[in-house]
Amino acid sequence: MRMNVTLTPAPPAVVARDLSKVYGQGDAQVHALRSVNVSFATGAFSAIMGPSGSGKSTLMHCLAGLDTVTSGTVHIGDVELTGLSDRRLTMLRRERIGFVFQAFNLLPTLTAEQNIRLPLEIAARQADQPLFDRVIETVGLRDRLGHRPSELSGGQQQRVAVARALISKPQVIFADEPTGNLDSRSGAEVLSFLRTSVRELGQTIVMVTHDPVAASYADRVVFLRDGELVTEIAAPTPQTVLDTLVKLEA
Amino acid sequence: MLRTALAGLRAHRLRLLLTALAITLGVGFIAGTFVLNDTVQAGYDQRVTADAAKVDVAVLPKGPDAVLPERLLERIRALDGVTEAQGLIRAPAPVLGKDGKTAGNAPTTALSIVPGPLDRTDIVEGTGPGTDDQAAVLDENTAKAQGFRPGDTITVLDARQREHRFRLVGLLDPGVDQELSYTGAVGFTAATAQRMTGAKGYREIDVAGTAPGLKQAVAAAAGGAYVVKTGGELATDLARAAGVETEMLTLGLLMFGLVAMMVAALVIYNTFNILVAQRTREMALLRCVGATRGQVFGSILLESSVVGVLASALGLLVGYGLASLTLTVLAAVDAPLPTDAAVTLTPVTIAAGLAVGVVVTLGAAVLPARSATRVAPIAALRTQAEEQTFRAGVVRAVLAGLFLLAGLGTAAAGVFVLPPGQQVSLVVVMAGGALTFLAVLILGPVLVRPLSALVGWIPARLFGVPGRLAVGNSGRNPRRAATTTVALTIGVTLMTLISVVTASTRQTMTVKLDEQFPIDYALSSQRLDAVIPRSVATELRGRPELSSVVQLREARVTVAGRRLGVGTYAGPIEPSLTAGSMKGLGPGQAAVDDDLGFGLGTAIQVRTPEAGTVRLKVVALFDSAESPLPQVTVAEGAFDTYFGAIPDTRVLINIRDGVPPARARAVVDAAVAAYPTVRVASSTEIRGQFDETLDMLLMVITGLLGLAILISLLGIANTLSLSVHERTRESALLRALGLTRAQLRRMLSVEALVLGLIGALVGVVLGVAFGWAAIMAMLDGAVFSAPVGQIALFVALSGVAGVLAAVLPARRAARASIVGALATS
Repeated sequence: MRMNVTLTPAPPAVVARDLSKVYGQGDAQVHALRSVNVSFATGAFSAIMGPSGSGKSTLMHCLAGLDTVTSGTVHIGDVELTGLSDRRLTMLRRERIGFVFQAFNLLPTLTAEQNIRLPLEIAARQADQPLFDRVIETVGLRDRLGHRPSELSGGQQQRVAVARALISKPQVIFADEPTGNLDSRSGAEVLSFLRTSVRELGQTIVMVTHDPVAASYADRVVFLRDGELVTEIAAPTPQTVLDTLVKLEA
Repeated sequence: MLRTALAGLRAHRLRLLLTALAITLGVGFIAGTFVLNDTVQAGYDQRVTADAAKVDVAVLPKGPDAVLPERLLERIRALDGVTEAQGLIRAPAPVLGKDGKTAGNAPTTALSIVPGPLDRTDIVEGTGPGTDDQAAVLDENTAKAQGFRPGDTITVLDARQREHRFRLVGLLDPGVDQELSYTGAVGFTAATAQRMTGAKGYREIDVAGTAPGLKQAVAAAAGGAYVVKTGGELATDLARAAGVETEMLTLGLLMFGLVAMMVAALVIYNTFNILVAQRTREMALLRCVGATRGQVFGSILLESSVVGVLASALGLLVGYGLASLTLTVLAAVDAPLPTDAAVTLTPVTIAAGLAVGVVVTLGAAVLPARSATRVAPIAALRTQAEEQTFRAGVVRAVLAGLFLLAGLGTAAAGVFVLPPGQQVSLVVVMAGGALTFLAVLILGPVLVRPLSALVGWIPARLFGVPGRLAVGNSGRNPRRAATTTVALTIGVTLMTLISVVTASTRQTMTVKLDEQFPIDYALSSQRLDAVIPRSVATELRGRPELSSVVQLREARVTVAGRRLGVGTYAGPIEPSLTAGSMKGLGPGQAAVDDDLGFGLGTAIQVRTPEAGTVRLKVVALFDSAESPLPQVTVAEGAFDTYFGAIPDTRVLINIRDGVPPARARAVVDAAVAAYPTVRVASSTEIRGQFDETLDMLLMVITGLLGLAILISLLGIANTLSLSVHERTRESALLRALGLTRAQLRRMLSVEALVLGLIGALVGVVLGVAFGWAAIMAMLDGAVFSAPVGQIALFVALSGVAGVLAAVLPARRAARASIVGALATS
């Protein structure tokens, strides 16, 4: 089943057209993505869901320019990612994309503040100090800024990672299972923080998750199965997400 | 467990390959040294055996200056069973070069070339002199250096310095005879050799004969005053004598081999340590499924011994190749060594090479293997391998402090307490150096972080984010970084030490030459004989181009039972006295070298040719290092009474200020043109020769230490590639955050640069400090000089080398796909 996603009035932050990704050759060929068409609205919190092996992480990697696509196109804003050189892709990631990974988000040698400022320094850009202060306030890490990652809890580490992603005002933040390694309380903290940054800072976030509770924080959830986009729901609750998943697994 | 260990080997092929290379190089050097030694020794044996096979019995005098009388030869010839006996003459007869001056630095040695089967000379071009008393042969090197070809006429001085002309009929190869290789050789018929050298007897009598018990018969005829050997015994002794220098060389080379192996041991230790740390989960899993601590320990040791055996075997081949190459080069430059024997790996070499390689590898792997046994089975369940943390413990600080104190104290004692110029002082200083080095080794992990901040100060500012991250990374695992850099430190320390010692020696000599012997030209003969007619000095004194002319004349006679130089001087010298006074030095009085141990006021007995035994009272002591006086100096008039009006031994000349050296040199050359044995040496020439020798020495030692440096670079490459492996996800994160491939590569290059610079910096500090201590202990009144340019070059090269070592690891890190790296846990 293939469906067209309705476009919201504002131009979308991320658009994928006919996106396919094939690993391996001959008999060992695996179709990780099959002609996926999807777009993610600016200023919205979107989630990508699906069972294990559905291709949700591959989709995120391709959307973020971390992996090459076999066919189809990806746009971040008005820039087409497909066909860009490694160098151009790197520059694009610097300027337009933020990342939050499941684990190992921070450099162990740097303090929390240094980690937060790292993308700006790599891009040799000046920090927007009011934004920095606001982000720090929102994350509630003011008193932990001088600590190294090994001195922070898992939840604090993920909050630092989110702050780092926010600080360069990227066009879109990709979050890959950001709460996968956290207990439910820390997870809830990080997720509310993500939602707050969408509401208050107008940030666009695309999150990959397999946790229905996490997905319920999003404005919209798209579902993948066997490399194909199968359905989506708006204004999800944990229950509606779970129901959809159960239906998919069946 | 065997299978697990072998699988481990296969999985870590590349890393173990680098480690193996370190061992291969070290073993290769040591094995090469052995092969070289064996081959040269075999070459000596071959030649000497071939020579000695011609001789059945040889008679030699006891003592280096003694000779065998003519009568003895006749007695031996008359013995039953002796088919032939020949006496060999061997004494100085200087050959003149085309410039009319004696050739070479020592008088040429004249040889008698005997006819018949006892002739042992190796004529390589032309013929021998045969029975032609007007014919001569020269050794190849002298002929080449002086530009003589067979058919030319050569001039040779006899014992009374008269010139004789000979037709050059052939060239000879001095073979393995070290003395002839140094002095050069000129061969004549026996009669001519006797006439030219004025020899009063033979240096050796060779006997051919078939009768049984020939040696006993000859020994009986010779009596107890001479040494009688069979041909075989002669060959053994000759080969041994020739091999002594080779053995010294071998020992010297082995020292460098040991340094290389020490560095290799550090590299291996580090590699296994890191491998064990990275395989914590693997070890824990093995423990979970029931492996005992002993089995884990054994599997690591097994892994290291396989690496050790393979690498050492390869090292033997490398050594063989290295030795063959060296022999080819030596043969090409005509080195006075036999290079034609077959190059072979003897069982001893194979055993030694394998033993050294395997023992070093196993020894270096023991500690890492032990730490592998400490891995708790539960570690298998932890997802993230924790970073090794390091805290400077009290024990470490105290231990390092003690070693440092002991090391510096010992070195200081060597410099300040013990007398300079004695071997024991140098040994004590070096022992202090070794102790201090141990302190640095212990303290290394503590020093790494501050040092990386120090040497990283500029790169961190120059290279932006990658630079700053790199400097942080370099101090991240202090223990590992310290071991990696210490390997480099060893090489740099030794190089700096050697260059400081050579520069200081040069400086000291220059200062001494300038201050204490402000001489522009010195006249002397090759052997410091009294051959300069006094008229030469008289003539030179009259020349306006020269400001001062000092005559020194000297005779070697028996003084209080010792052979010493007794002499006098004429001209402006200010002797530097340590006691007494030389004012009004009269007959029966002497000033003596204070090193001889004669006290002021003692009387010494001197046997003189003209006045019999005279008693001299010591009225002054002088410092021979600062005054060019004969050991026992008497007044000029008294000297003539004791020894007759003999010619001068040396004449020291100074140019008048403002006179061009070329004009002064022409005046001096003209004054001695008629005397072929009188040679003119200028202080700049002497200094030049000295400089050349020092430069050569420095070059050779630096080249040999290069091996240790090379091995330590393998260590840097290894540590970096392991760090890259450990930080795969971190690198991926940085790439995701917008670090370009080039920046990631630069980050690793800077890290390697910082490691290289830390190693070099510590090495330079240690090298300069102990270079200073060594030179102060070695030379009395030494002047310290640090060759800043050279040392800066060492530091720069270490940095560059570090960056080169990072090339491959950095490429691998930059090539890794971000998604793949993020996925690995």
